[in-house]
This record gives sequence, C-alpha cells and structure tokens, in this order.
Amino acid sequence: MKAVILAAGEGKRLRPYTETLPKVMLPVVNKPILEYVLDAVIKSGINEIIVVVGYKKEVILEYFKDYNKANITYVTQDKQLGTAHALLQAKKHLKDSFIVLSGDNIIDSNSISKLIEDKSKYSILIKRHSQPSKYGVVFLEKNMIKEIVEKPKEELGNFISTGIYKLPKSVFKTIEDLGSDGIYALSTVIQSLVNQGEEINTIIAESWMDIVYPWDLIKVNETMIHELPSSIGGVVEKGVTIKGDVFVGKDTKIYSGCYIVGPVFIGEGCEIGPNVCIFPSTTIGDNSVIQPFGHIQNAVIMNEVHVGSQSFLKNSIVGRSTIIKDHFSSINGSPTVEIEGEFKKLKNMGTMIGDDCNIGSSVVIDSGKIIGKNCKINSLKKIMDNIPSNTKVM
Amino acid sequence: MCGIIGYNGFRNADKVLIDGLKRLEYRGYDSAGIGVIGKNLKIYKEIGEISKLEKYIPKLDGDIGIGHTRWATHGGVSKENAHPHLSGNNKIAIIHNGIIENFQKLREELKKQGVKLRSQTDTEVIAHLIEKNYKGNLYDAVFSALKKIKGSYALVVISSDEPDKIIGARKESPLVIGVGDNENFLASDIPALLKYTNRVIFLNDGEMCIIKKNKVKVFNEKNKEIKKEEKLIKWDFKDAEKSGFSHFMLKEIYDQPETVHKVFLGRVSEIDRTITFPEKVENIIQDVKSINIVACGTSFYSGLVGKYFIEKLTELPVNVELSSEYRYFGTKNKDSLVICITQSGETADTLAALKEAKISGCKTLVITNVIGSTATRISDAYILTQSGPEIGVAATKTFTSQILVLFLISLKLAILEKKIGADELYEYILHLKELSKKVRQVLDKNEEISNIAKKLKDSNSVFFIGRGINFPISLEGALKLKEISYLHAEGFAAGELKHGPFALLTKTSPVVAIVTNNSTYDKMIANIGEVKARGPKVIAIAEENDTEIEKHADFVLRYPSNSNMLSCVSISVILQLLAYHVANFRNCSIDKPRNLAKSVTVE
Repeated sequence: MKAVILAAGEGKRLRPYTETLPKVMLPVVNKPILEYVLDAVIKSGINEIIVVVGYKKEVILEYFKDYNKANITYVTQDKQLGTAHALLQAKKHLKDSFIVLSGDNIIDSNSISKLIEDKSKYSILIKRHSQPSKYGVVFLEKNMIKEIVEKPKEELGNFISTGIYKLPKSVFKTIEDLGSDGIYALSTVIQSLVNQGEEINTIIAESWMDIVYPWDLIKVNETMIHELPSSIGGVVEKGVTIKGDVFVGKDTKIYSGCYIVGPVFIGEGCEIGPNVCIFPSTTIGDNSVIQPFGHIQNAVIMNEVHVGSQSFLKNSIVGRSTIIKDHFSSINGSPTVEIEGEFKKLKNMGTMIGDDCNIGSSVVIDSGKIIGKNCKINSLKKIMDNIPSNTKVM
Repeated sequence: MCGIIGYNGFRNADKVLIDGLKRLEYRGYDSAGIGVIGKNLKIYKEIGEISKLEKYIPKLDGDIGIGHTRWATHGGVSKENAHPHLSGNNKIAIIHNGIIENFQKLREELKKQGVKLRSQTDTEVIAHLIEKNYKGNLYDAVFSALKKIKGSYALVVISSDEPDKIIGARKESPLVIGVGDNENFLASDIPALLKYTNRVIFLNDGEMCIIKKNKVKVFNEKNKEIKKEEKLIKWDFKDAEKSGFSHFMLKEIYDQPETVHKVFLGRVSEIDRTITFPEKVENIIQDVKSINIVACGTSFYSGLVGKYFIEKLTELPVNVELSSEYRYFGTKNKDSLVICITQSGETADTLAALKEAKISGCKTLVITNVIGSTATRISDAYILTQSGPEIGVAATKTFTSQILVLFLISLKLAILEKKIGADELYEYILHLKELSKKVRQVLDKNEEISNIAKKLKDSNSVFFIGRGINFPISLEGALKLKEISYLHAEGFAAGELKHGPFALLTKTSPVVAIVTNNSTYDKMIANIGEVKARGPKVIAIAEENDTEIEKHADFVLRYPSNSNMLSCVSISVILQLLAYHVANFRNCSIDKPRNLAKSVTVE
C-alpha cells in the first residue's frame, strides 16, 4: 500500500514561524513534524510515499534529500486550494487503495497499522478532543460516520477527524466531480460520499497531536522530548554537570561550569557556556551558541540562534538565526492573548521571537508577546506589544 | 575525460553498468557503450546520452562487464569511436579515460604490421597492443602493453578467454576500486558505486589491479603485489540524487545554507575565538613569505577572491595563476606557499601544476571537495570543502565553500602574522556564522530573481561589472551564465569598461552591476551612468538598505548586508540563481551543458 502525505500548506496561524518554513517543517525536538509523520508511516510498513508539496517546497526537498528510509515521490500543488485538490495531484501515482495523511500532525505508527489492516473500503482515524470546535467534528452511527461538521460554532460532539483516511482509488471520481463545482476540501468529499450511501468506518487513533498556534510548539516539545534517548556526542569539558536524559549532538562543545538538567536536547555544532544553566524541557537546535551565564528553561531554541551572556529564556521560543545580545529577559506570566478575534488565556508563557531577528542588549519582552521575523530591536527596549515582521524598534 | 566502470559479481552486469554510467554522465556524454561477458563477449555502443544506449540493449545475462561514457578527445563523436574497443580477434575489450600521447606512432607501427584499425581513437591502439602481448595471462599482457605507452590513462580490460577477472590500471586519470561482498567494482568516481558499497580503495599512479568476484589484488609499478587500505565513504547514496528538485544545479544552490556551515564545522570556535586546521595544514602555513594560488575555471575565480582576503588581512603578497599557465611559466619560489584549488582533486592541469610546484621545492596546500583524490595524496597538506558531491557541471556550492575556506586561511594567517587581535577575529567569526542565514534570505528571493532572468533571456550578450572583490565575482557570474545558458557573457572590472569593452554595448546587451556600500560606491554609480548613456539596461545587485540605487539602475536585486568581504557569498548565490533561471527559460540542458564535463582530467 502507498501513502500520500499532504505537505503543501502554509500554516498562517503559526506565523511568524511559517513565513520562512512551511508548517510541516516546524521543528519539534529539532526534527520537522513531517519527519515524525514519515517515520510513523514507514514503521507501519509502507515504503512507497507520495508527498504533495507546495508552499516553500524547496525547504522540504532540501531537508529530505538525505532521507533514505523509503521511496519518496514529490508532486507539486501550485495553488493551495484545499486538501482534496492537494490529494488529486497524487492521482497518477496511485493504483489501488491508499492512506492519506496530513504532514503537520504527529501520529503514532500503531494507529496507521490499524487503518491499513481495516477491511472496509473507506476508513478514517478519529480522536477524542476537548476542544472539538477547532476541527472537523465527527458524528457517528454504529461506528460509521454519520456527519462531519467543519469547525462548528458551538462545542458539539466528542470526536474529531484527524484527516487520516484509507481511501480506494475510486475516490478521485468524487474529488473531480466536486472539484468542478469549486469544492476542494477532503472532508466535504467524505460527507458527499456518506450522502451517497457509502459506509465510512472509524478507528480511534492512539496518539495524535496538532500544532495550531505558536505556543503549541512549546507544549509539543515538552511531550516529545521524553521519547529521546540520551547520548553525548561532541566535547563536554571538565566541570560540567549533566543530570537526567540529555542529548548532545556531534561537533557540539559544552564548556566548563554548565549545569544541565534533562530532558534536554542540544543539536550539532553548538557552543554552550561556560557557566550556562539549562533546565527541562529545552531544545536547542543545530549550530547555536549560548554565551556564558545564561538561564534557559522549557524553551525551544531553533537552529543558528545566538543568545548573549546573562540572558534569561523561559517558556519561550526563539526562531532560526535570531541573534540576541547580552542581558535579555523574557518575562513570564499568564497573559490573555487575542487570536483570530478571540481572547485566550495562556498559562506560564514567556515570549515568542521569530526567525532572523536582531535583538540588542538588555531588552525585556513581556509575557505572551510575539516578535515577527526579521525584526531589529535596539538595546534597552522594553517590549509590551506584539511586533509585526520586518519592524525596527528604535 | 570520460566516465568508466567495471563490474564483477553476482548481479546482472548490464544493469549495474548502466546505473553507474548514469551517475558518471557528468564526466562526458558524447557517446556510451558497455561490454558484457556471458556465454561470450558482447559489445553495445550508441551515440548520445546513456538513456539512449539503455533502450538499445537487449536482455543480457552476464555478471561481469565494463562500461564507458565518452567525452571526445582523439577522434570525433561516432559509434566506431565509442568505447569499449576490441582487439583484432574480438576477445579483448577495453575502456579508457585519458590521452595516449604517442598513439600516432603506435598506430603507424600497428598498420605496418598489418593490423586493421576500426576507429580513430588512441584507445583502440592499446587493445591491439594487449592482444600482441597476450601469452595466456591477461594481467601480464596489459602490464607489457602499458610499457610501450606514453600518456595518461585509467584503463579497464576484460577478455572472453579469462571471464573471471577484470584488469584495471591507472596513471594520471582517476580510478577507484569499490569493494563489496562477492562483488567488486572499478569506477572513475565514487557516486557510481555508492548504491552498492561505501568501501573503496584508491589506486595511485602506476598501480594496477586484478578484480575477481571475491578478491581484489593490487600491484605497484614494479609489478609487486601490495596491500592497500580500504576507506569508508561517508557520503550518502541519496546525495547523488536530485530528490525532487528539477536539476542538480538547483538542488546544489539550495544546499548552500548547509554547506556554508559544513566549512566551519570543527574549525571555527566562537567561544574560544580560534580557527583550527589539521596539524599538517597548521605546520605548512607557518612562516609564509608569499603565496601562489593555482587553479582553473571557477576555482581560479575563487582564488582571485582569496587574493583579496589574504592581502587585505595579512599584507602577504598573493599571485593567482591559471594551472595550465603556471605549470609551464609560473615562478616557483621555494619560500612561497602554493595553494591549488580543485573541486574534484583530479583536474589534470592543476595536478600537473601541483607536481611542478612540488618538484621546485614549494610548500603545497590543496583545497578540494574529494577526500582520497589524487590532489590530496600528492600535496603536502589539504583542506576539504566538505560540501558533499557536486553533480551539476556548473560549480555552485563548491565555489562558495572554496571562498570560505580561503577566508578561514586568511584569518589563520592574520593570526599567525599578528595582524588581527582576538576581538577583530571575534567580529569576523560572528559575520561568518551569520552567512547561512544571509544565503537563506537570498534563496527566499528566488522568484524575484527569476523575474529578472526573464528580462535577460533574449539578450545578445550580458556583461557583469564590479570592483574589488566583486570583480572576480563578476567573472564567475559571467562564467555561470555562459556555461549553462550558452549566452555570450563577460565579466569586467567596472573601471575597465571604458578602456575597450564600451564598444560592445548596445540595447540588447544588458549590464549586471554589483554595487557595494564601500569607498567605490560613487564610482560604481558613475559607471552605471556611463553604461546607461549607451543604451543597455542595467541590473544592479545592491545592498538591502541602499536607497539611492533605484534612481540609477533599471532593475535592482538586493542582498542582505554583511561585512564587505563576506557579502560576496550572498552575491554569488544571486548570480547562480540568475544564470540558472536564464538557462531554464532558454530550455538548456542545465546539468549537462554541451561540450562540457565536470572534472577535466585531460590537459
């Protein structure tokens, strides 16, 4: 059986991080979400995979150029019209029944195996969720789908669609028919099949994780970092204390006096210290530098980041290639943030800084604030609001 | 210069040979052929790319054979001249990469003896010589035949009389042995073998080998069996595939944020403020009085950039010379350090220059991408660019990596000469570490660059101008454009334009001007004015915060600010993408431009 992974989307709600990366490439413990999906699909026994790419596809092609665990074919969706339209791009590579997954949800391989083994013509993985109104809510009748309601206004039902299906090749007929009417969402295609009297079997997924907003990156990192084996590559100088599960990549150097409490992940080619404290559950990407006397806790620090001496980063995200000078401070609290016209209360939240920023000395950023990509913040600034991308704070 | 492969094992030989040849196609693609021994020896040849040959081959069942993809030197492109070549009795088949210098004389001699020659190649002569020397042992026959030959060769021979072995020989042309389980390989280059094995043995000049299914024997020049060390290749087989990109060149351009980092890996420490090279390199760059940089093509241009770095940071005098010239005419001063730059480590001109430099007693340092290549073995010390295999004939990622290796060398020399302090060094290290991001930001502008390329695609000529470090970058920009898009392109020092090239300017010859915010900014603006007054459109490549430039140029492409010395890396990436898109709009064969091959292993 073949699998199709939809990886063409942009992920607007995850800006600023998706301004330079497609959503599927956002890192969770220094590994793109899409790699978790590929690994799970392969573990379930599939080795022919079609990946539908679109938005910033070069980033995906470049990253997976060395990935050789399966035979991957890339097809391009030029305009991101919808999930059914994305799937349609893979049509010519499919002969019979296949699995379709979205590349931006982490899923376990057992659930995929169950889907493969299911004998029904159509089947779907569903999941119980506390906030179903953000998703396609699935209503059941004798284990079969009765109705899918996309993002209902009220909190209805218990189960949501994971967007992971087993489908027969004949589904393309329905996709093409509806496409000619301008309907491109896969859930609508499924609803239409139900209306035509097709039976769609449901299977409950074991673990399934979605990343909707930037702060979800911290939460998912915290969950997934436990799966990591501890291993020390690179050079650890005398006088470093390491407790718990800590992963250190090759060519990384940890200087004397550092105190690291796992679970902590540190990528390749980093330089940390001397005298830096890193607490759970922190991920530091490849080629990053943490200068002396820093305190880092429950943070996601991506690749090529530079953190100046005596900086404090807690419950925070720092995007790729951002440079933070000395004495930076992320204020922590429980802010209320406005997102898509709704107010949301966050707990234990630091700051979220986009890619390619340049932050001067002694800058303080308030809890829950988002700094866009490629911003420049001068020294001694106190940031109390979100800063849009490409802004200079003088 | 050609690609060769030999296989002796348990698989269908024709499949392995064709697959390997496809990975060697970058070495030449005029014509190709294979020879396989099943019940008897069968030869198939075709003009054109490997895929054409593949269609023409019937089902074969031999598990030993040889294959060749040709880049014509002696004798035009024709089916007769394609390899493998047969001896007169059709029992011995050979493939060859290199040039036999005394082949005319040998040809005449053979003709006098009544041998009928079927092709115009130098290679066929060797086949007949082997047959003449054959007394029941193929290895001995090859050894004797090679004594009569002057020139360079990587040679692979099979015979239907001894269907259990392949004989290989090497002199000044590349040949590696791939060691597998119950199967062994011979090839011009590693990517041809990577699918099957990552264990290789590099042959040295003058060495020969016998390849059996489960045994490899190597002999030195004196015909004495020697023990050779197996090396493990870390490259991934996947590295040699396009993995979804439309061309290797585009993939390799997009590799650059990563390859830039690879240059620094294990060499640059920000917290310790050090630049570290292997001990041999550190020793050789002590007490240097002057430097010669020797290279060809794109590597020569990176050498010119290196001259700016070294002279600016150390005040040591640097001469940059073309390998083919330096070899015969360059001054070879014992006190000078000779830095040879060659991506493949097999460039024949550069190897010849390197040998001359060594004979003259110069200290020699090689910058190359290929570990185990000839250049790394005959020089005193070498530095690897660590860029991974580069398949596109037009060099991209290895150019930027060569520049960065040269920058690290100049920093190291500056430290040794006490020309820069720890704090200045620290500033440079910070700039280096930002490069990957800068390159990524240029790649984000791919579409914008493609739009400008559309405006260039129908030009008669394109001129590239720049000053200082951007002069060699202009030369490289022009080289990229001409080699893959077949457009006429030239690079000039901006100040030189009025001393002649002005006569070439017309409405259909746009000018690409590289403008940096340094002391020459006003001069460049003046040059742009002079150009525009004569009709051509001007495309400026300018810094992102330059607000003046729009008033002067017709189109502007921006590069992210960096230190003046290092912005040339981002600018190079813009020029690579520009050339790529122009070639793409013109429907050119980007990865395999006509008449060119990747590693030029002939002089």
